[in-house]
Parts: sequence; structure tokens; C-alpha cells
Amino acid sequence: MSCLNMAQIQELKEVMEEGFGDLVMTYLQDSEAKLKALKKAINSKDALQISELSHSLKGSSANICAENLSALFKKVEDFGRAEELNQVPYVFEQIQDEFQAVKAELQQLK
Amino acid sequence: MDARPLTILVADDNQSDRMILCAIVKKMGHKVCEAADGNEAVDQYLQQKPDIILLDVIMPNLNGQQAAKAIKTLAGEDMVPIIFLTSLQEASDLAACLESGGDDFISKPYNKIILQAKINAFERMLKMHNTLQDQRDVIRENNDHMRHEQQVAKAVYDNVAHSGCLDLPNIKHMLSPFSIFNGDVLLAARKPSGSIHILLGDFTGHGLPAAIGAMPLAEIFYGMTAKGFLMEDILREINLKLKKILPVGYFCCTCMASLSFRRHELEVWMGGLPDFGLYRQETGDVERVKSSHLPLGVLSTQAFDTQTQTFDFVPGDKFYMWSDGIIESRNAQSELFGEERLFSVFNHYDSDEYFDKILSEVNQFVGESGRDDDTTLLELSMVDESVIGKVDIDLSSGAITGPANWNMTYTLRDDTLRTFNPLPVMLNILNDVPAMRNISGQLYTLMAELFSNAFEHGVLGLSSDLKQTADGFAEYYRLRSKALEGLNNAFVKFEFDLSPTYSGGRLTILVEDSGKGFDYTNINTQSDQNFAYSGRGIPLIYSLCDSLTYLDKGNKVKVCLSWQTQSEE
Repeated sequence: MSCLNMAQIQELKEVMEEGFGDLVMTYLQDSEAKLKALKKAINSKDALQISELSHSLKGSSANICAENLSALFKKVEDFGRAEELNQVPYVFEQIQDEFQAVKAELQQLK
Repeated sequence: MDARPLTILVADDNQSDRMILCAIVKKMGHKVCEAADGNEAVDQYLQQKPDIILLDVIMPNLNGQQAAKAIKTLAGEDMVPIIFLTSLQEASDLAACLESGGDDFISKPYNKIILQAKINAFERMLKMHNTLQDQRDVIRENNDHMRHEQQVAKAVYDNVAHSGCLDLPNIKHMLSPFSIFNGDVLLAARKPSGSIHILLGDFTGHGLPAAIGAMPLAEIFYGMTAKGFLMEDILREINLKLKKILPVGYFCCTCMASLSFRRHELEVWMGGLPDFGLYRQETGDVERVKSSHLPLGVLSTQAFDTQTQTFDFVPGDKFYMWSDGIIESRNAQSELFGEERLFSVFNHYDSDEYFDKILSEVNQFVGESGRDDDTTLLELSMVDESVIGKVDIDLSSGAITGPANWNMTYTLRDDTLRTFNPLPVMLNILNDVPAMRNISGQLYTLMAELFSNAFEHGVLGLSSDLKQTADGFAEYYRLRSKALEGLNNAFVKFEFDLSPTYSGGRLTILVEDSGKGFDYTNINTQSDQNFAYSGRGIPLIYSLCDSLTYLDKGNKVKVCLSWQTQSEE
């Protein structure tokens, strides 16, 4: 099963036209940088950083039609806000897997 | 949509989100500018003046809400719709966005159709706002222009409509306009005889349209009063003028009063105004004086009635006039002040306080609710003429020199004698002579006495002895109207002769009447000024001129006045 909402992706491609490739590249680069920063924040148990970074990633992932990934970021964002960080490393592992899958699918599409 | 593309600012710290938004907006045909945080968003707003702003809520440096506040402050009166971009879910977070100055929000992931619909909606709103602002500016400009014109016009208007002798010590007055112009007119002027004419007019409506009719009204009032016309002539003239110039449905509720110091009388004509109050010092009572006519400017000259009411008016008596703005003043509960409250002021205070108390009671009643009509109040007291001094008529004319050498005869016959007052016409001609203007008051008195002698005593053969008792007074008027009916081949002839002298000029007036004359042998001696013959006002005439001589059988009298020309200062 695809980890992207394919109907939405179709719409997005229509909007972006030839810019779609650039969008995918920008999203992936931006997200990878933020994921690194998020990992650091998790290690240092910086709840504020955790919630802000995952909030941003939640939004951009939703826009790129990665619904599952966006939902996982929301979980982390909520934990960060509540300053309950116990579950966060576990969810972060799921995020890394999901992100790899999204990346693979997006690269095929562009 | 509109051919003109909008400029739309996209402020989002997430580059990929920004790319999607920019693509959507560009697809709609609009121009885009971008910002990656709140500070940049404010800078871009100042540089690009975007029409609509898409603003991410959570951004580094200045966040979306802070940026929105800053931009809305900078925008002032301009409308800059801000649409917040948010993945916030809490209702309170969304509400906070709108409170910080946002106009709408859109959630991530962005839906192209919703975003486009929102941009279109704000574009329509912007157009409407700009149209409104343009129209408002035009209106403001027009309004400023109009106010300026009105201020200038008001200066002219005040010189015409609120001048005269309202500052006499026996007159208290208050005019309170609802707008720049007052639709109430208040005029006062001395007649050449020393009497006072007062006119209170309340034009339909208020402001400029109401004030405009006051201009001709005031001109006629002052002009004719100064020339010695009677109240009825002046009213007739004003009515005719207003009837001609005012649109249908516009008129002037008017009270005109004439106060005579000599006769201790107040003569009143009232049309369309509420009851006025006449205070009697002797009894302490306040009589109501009622309107008995339609307002001025309604009836044709033929239908117009100049019938007046005459009241005894002795020193200490006071006459109160007001416009309906006083009675119709409203308090916060929209109740009217009303006649009852107004007249009850007279029962509760001393007569010295009436004027101030009426004003303070009205003000207290109205309170904070503010006026909605022009209000005018006037108190006219009877005093001894010496309190207000001699009449000083301003007949200033453009010409410095006037006719200096002329002769004129003016003969009045039966019908004319019955119905026409020739004094204003004759005085008008005499006042063309510069030296006459300085003594126009005396001249009026002189002419009035000469005419009355020639007509009442000469032509009608009436004896003024009759007037000394109340019964005799009535008898006098009975005989007078009988004699008037029987006029046949009667005349009064005036001959004026003006000639220059070495150092000034001389006016000779010869008055001849068709009566049978009288024995004047005792009078022409002029041995002293102690004339016993009081009936013909001769001492008065004599005091005003250089010489007075009766001729023939006593139906001719010759009066001389001479003067030195004053050197120019």
C-alpha cells in the first residue's frame, strides 16, 4: 500500500507542474536536516525543540501528501508539548522507517 | 475576475510549504512575494505593499501573530487581509489567530480550491473597501469644501441676520444654532421715531436652506424700519418676498412686535408660532399672546392679513418670545420640554430671573441628549426711553455728496390720504441729502407732526382736545373714520425746496391742506417758546427747526431748517 495520498499527489503535480521535482527535492533536503535536529533534541530531551520541529515537519509532510508520516509527527509534537518524552524514541524509529518509504515513493514520482 | 493581478505575500518558514503556496497563487494569475519569518514578512509588507498576506503562525524570530499585529498597525486605514496558515487544531489557538488581527485561516495540508476561494473572497472585499475609501475621501473633501463655504457664508449671514440693536439694555436674547446656520432669525431695529421693531422668525427646517430666506427678510426689515415704515407695510413686503422665493412647503413662522415708548404700547403680529408670554408688573401675571395668522410666505398679498394685537406696555412689563425649538427640546427619554413646563417657570421665580431660568431649565431638561433644533429666546422689557438713548439710524450710503439744489411738490388726494402712509417715500428722498442723514430721527418726527397736523386737524377737522380722556379718545376715532369716509376733493400738499447757502444749505417745507384753517395769531409771534397751543404739537416742531410760520387762513405752514456743512475730518 502506498504511504502517499495518491489523489492529492495528482492535484499537487497539477499545481506544481514542472516545479514538482524541485518541490520534492526541497522537501526531502529540508526534512532530512530537520530529522537530524529532531534526533539531537530527543537525545538531549529538549521538549520545546521536539515539539517545534515535529510541528513543522507535520505541516510540510501533510502538504506533500504523506498522511501517515504527518500523523506520526503529530504524535511526537503532542508528547513534546506534554513533556512526556518516554514514548518519543519509539515513535521516532517509526518515523525514520516511514520517511524512507515516503522518500522512495516521491523519488519515483518526480 | 479583475484584470489587475494582486500581489500576495507568502510568509512561511517551511520552504516546501512556501513553494506549494506560491505555485497555487501564481496559477491564479497573481504576483507573489515571499518571506521566511515574521521579521521578513513585515519588511516585505513595507516594500511590496501586498494586497493579501498568507501568514504562517509558528515561525522563528517574529511569530505569525506578532507579525500580524505589526502589519495591521502599519496598515492603518488600508485594508490588508491576513490569512493564517496553520496546522493548529485547538479552537482557542485558531481564535487567538483572529484576535491578533488575522481575517481568516486555512489548515495544512493546503487545499487549492479552498485557498483560491478565500483569496477571491478577499479580493472582492478589497475592491469594496477601496471603493468605499475612495468615496469616503471624496465625501470628506466635499464636506470640507462645503464647511469652508458655509463658514464664509455664515460671516456674511451673521452681519445681515443677527445685527441691528439686539444689544440694547432692554433686550436679552439667546440664539443657539443646531448647525452652522441658525434657521431662527432674530432682528431688532429702531424706527426713526425711536420705537423698536423686533422680529423673530423660525424658518422651516434648519441649516443653510433655512438661513437663506433670512437674508431678504432681514434686508427688508432693516431697510423699511429705518425709513419709518409701519409694521404692517413691512410684514406685507416680507410676506410677498418670501411667497415669491421660497419653495412650496417652506415658510417662516414669525412674530413681529413694535414697542412704542411714547404710547407705552406693544403691537404684536404673530403667525404660526407657539404662545408667547407677556408679563405684567402691576399684577405679576403672565398673559399668553397667541398666533392669529398663518406663517409668512404662505398667503398671497390679497389674502394676507396684517391685523395686529395691541397691548398696554408700561415700564417693568416684559414680553417673552421663543422659537418652537425651546418647547420641542427633548430629554434622554425623548419627552418634550413642552409649553406647560415653560409657562410654569413664570410661576416659580421672580421676573428678574425669568430669562436665565428658562434657559437653565431647558438645559437641565435636555441634559446630555443634545439639541436637535435651533433654539431662540428673547426678553423685551419696557423701560423709559432715556435708558436706551436716542435713535441712531444708520443710513450710510455710498455717495458722499447728494442733490443740493432742488424743488419738489407732492400732493396726496382723497383715496391716497385714506390708505397710504407718505412718510417713508418723502423721507427716502430727503435722506439723499447728506446733511439730512445726521438728523433723520428728528426729520421723521418733524414730518410726522406736520403730516398729522395737516391731515388730522386740517383736512379731517378733528380736535386733539378730545384725546385727553378715554371717552374722548373713542369719540375721536369715531369722528375720524366718519370724516375719512366723507373725504371729497381733499388734499395735503407738500412742497420741498432745498437750496445751498454760502456755508451749508437750507430746506424749506411748505405744507398746505384743504381744511378750513385756524386762528394762528397767537402762534406766529414767536415771542417765546412757551406755546400754550398744545393741540398741534407745535412746540415739538418748533424745537426741531429754525422757523415755523403759519400763512393764509391757517391751512398753510412753512418750516425752515438750515445747516452748516461740516468740514471733512
